Amino acid sequence: MTLTAVVNGLATPNPSPLLKQAPTSLLFGVAIVMVAATPQSVTSLGAMVAGTIAAVLATLLAGVLTAIPTTVRFALLVPSIDLVAIGFLRFGTGESLSIFSALIILPIIWFAAEEGREHIWFAFIGTAIVLVFPAVAGQSDSSTLNVLLRASFAAAVFTIAAAVINELSRQARLRLASVRRLAEERKSALESNQWRTNELANSEASLRHAERMFRSLWSAVTEQAVIGTDLTGLIDAWNPGAALMLRIAADQVEDKRHVDEFHLPDELEDRARELHYPAGATVLNPGFSALVEEARLGSAEVREWTYRRADGTEMPVELSVTPRLDDDGETVGYLFVAHDRTKAHEVAKLKDDFVGLISHELRTPLSSILGYLELMRDDDDEQLTETQLQYLGVAERNAHRLLILVGDLLFTAQVESGKFNLEQHVQSMSPIVAAAVDSARPAAVRAGVTLVVEIGDGGMVRGDSARLGQACDNLISNAIKFTPAGGTVTVTLNGEAHRVIITVSDTGLGIPESELDQLFSRFFRASTATRNAVPGVGLGLTITKAIVTAHGGAMAVASEEGVGTNFSVTLPTEHPARV
Amino acid sequence: MSDSHGAVSPRKARVLVADDDADIRVLVGIAVRKSGLELVGTAIDGIEALDLVRELKPDLLVTDVSMPGLTGLELCTLIRDDDELSGTRVVLLSAAVDEGAHAAGRDAGATEYLIKPFSPRQLADRLVELTRSSAART
Repeated sequence: MTLTAVVNGLATPNPSPLLKQAPTSLLFGVAIVMVAATPQSVTSLGAMVAGTIAAVLATLLAGVLTAIPTTVRFALLVPSIDLVAIGFLRFGTGESLSIFSALIILPIIWFAAEEGREHIWFAFIGTAIVLVFPAVAGQSDSSTLNVLLRASFAAAVFTIAAAVINELSRQARLRLASVRRLAEERKSALESNQWRTNELANSEASLRHAERMFRSLWSAVTEQAVIGTDLTGLIDAWNPGAALMLRIAADQVEDKRHVDEFHLPDELEDRARELHYPAGATVLNPGFSALVEEARLGSAEVREWTYRRADGTEMPVELSVTPRLDDDGETVGYLFVAHDRTKAHEVAKLKDDFVGLISHELRTPLSSILGYLELMRDDDDEQLTETQLQYLGVAERNAHRLLILVGDLLFTAQVESGKFNLEQHVQSMSPIVAAAVDSARPAAVRAGVTLVVEIGDGGMVRGDSARLGQACDNLISNAIKFTPAGGTVTVTLNGEAHRVIITVSDTGLGIPESELDQLFSRFFRASTATRNAVPGVGLGLTITKAIVTAHGGAMAVASEEGVGTNFSVTLPTEHPARV
Repeated sequence: MSDSHGAVSPRKARVLVADDDADIRVLVGIAVRKSGLELVGTAIDGIEALDLVRELKPDLLVTDVSMPGLTGLELCTLIRDDDELSGTRVVLLSAAVDEGAHAAGRDAGATEYLIKPFSPRQLADRLVELTRSSAART
């Protein structure tokens, strides 16, 4: 083992005190055995015993400090005790001739190998104490001066050795630190590399997953046409839905045709006119520009257009146009998502046909019935008997009921199809409500129901008086129908800031709470109505709500089964100044 | 068909009725007679109505809107655009109640747009009013 190797070993912060002490203890042992074998070399048994005890103490301390880690400085107590032991043993075995003189180097190395120049001085002081100990003790064979000279010289040599060792271990430490740093950096670089590799693998997996998802979505959308174009309208994406809808495969359109070729030129021209495009060549492709105008300005647009398929047939579509953006947010093209409106148009037409059918096929026979009944009643030549007139009245009343039902059906169909026209006049609500109450009085009297009316000044409402009257009629006649004899129906009208509130409350059958939210649905009848055989088809409240909503108003209902029901209608008022 | 009263009393207005529903035709016919006007004929569809209008040149045509052949509105337009038929005024009787149908009737040049079901009594009164105002104008 070279000195450098020993120094390197001792220079590491890791060796335990016991490991550092091990060679010294071993050599102590060997030397003590050798001295024991030659008893004549012992000059002082007391010093020998003291030295041995000190050596054992140093070894034990090294063991304890290994078991209980402590500071490097405190561990230096071990070589210090070693030096004391060597001092005693050397003194007890003939001083300069002692076999223990050679052991001085080991604690010196320990001191010198520690970090810091001060340890050179510790080594020097330790060596000097050990070597001058016999002279100090005053029992040296040689002259004190001689001992001091030799001790000083040896101490100087050991100090130089300690300085060399100290420097070597400093350099070794620096090298070690550097190597460790490099190792750390390498480890960190490796870890970073591994992390990046994992990230890359994850990203690739996500990308593959996203691509698979996109492909499946793209292929699954068969009911909608999804078409992508560049800024000029040249098609670069054509999903299976587009192929089905427009009856042409992707490979025949992608990078070959423009999206506006599938539109009706007339519609595109109309839209261009709406957008006030200047006539002539100022817009490169006016048709395409008209198609994407809103999207070009940054907002998505949904509008009905007509597609012309590859085979020349046409279909209505609802088309949403959105811009396609690049990473910088610049528009690089457009996306067109179209869904077929053929069915919706058919349904709308069916509704129109239904309205027409009701109008004509039901109202025409009713015209005959009511007309001929009137002729019978008005026939001056053949006067009818009282009984005949009574029967005629029943027939007329029922024909009128049928007529009202047909009117209600027609009205709800008109509301559904959006063909619900209102005459707009500004008028007070008070006479409308009063008229509805008056027309309901005979029915209330017949039903034995008390009609309580509290009509205040309701302010002016803009709307259709006939329809508003119909709404009030419906609510009041409903309340009377649902109130048993002896009950009360209260109609109130009150004006508030910017609104008028009409309430119709009864002490009738009430409506179960679970049914309240369906109350305004077409043909819905409350279970209390069917259970008590209250006549009706379930259109009155639907119509009433449609009328109120069309006037910008709102309806509310509160009810308790067996206690009664309260309907309220709130309508916005028109300021007289604006009339 | 000349006026039986001649110059003694004002000439009875001559009315043609067109409707594909026989019961309504008869009902309108009764209303016409009750109003004291002269029913000159009835037609069961638009084409027959046009032929009869051209042949009889009635003062009033009371016609249904929804009829086979020609609709009441088409009939109305044809009469309006024919100078020889300028003396015939048209009353449309329709089961359609929406505002659009009304407007279409006015656009086609109808004098009156009445809604089914109608009261024969009120129809008779209205026809009398129309013929009076017509007479006052001429």
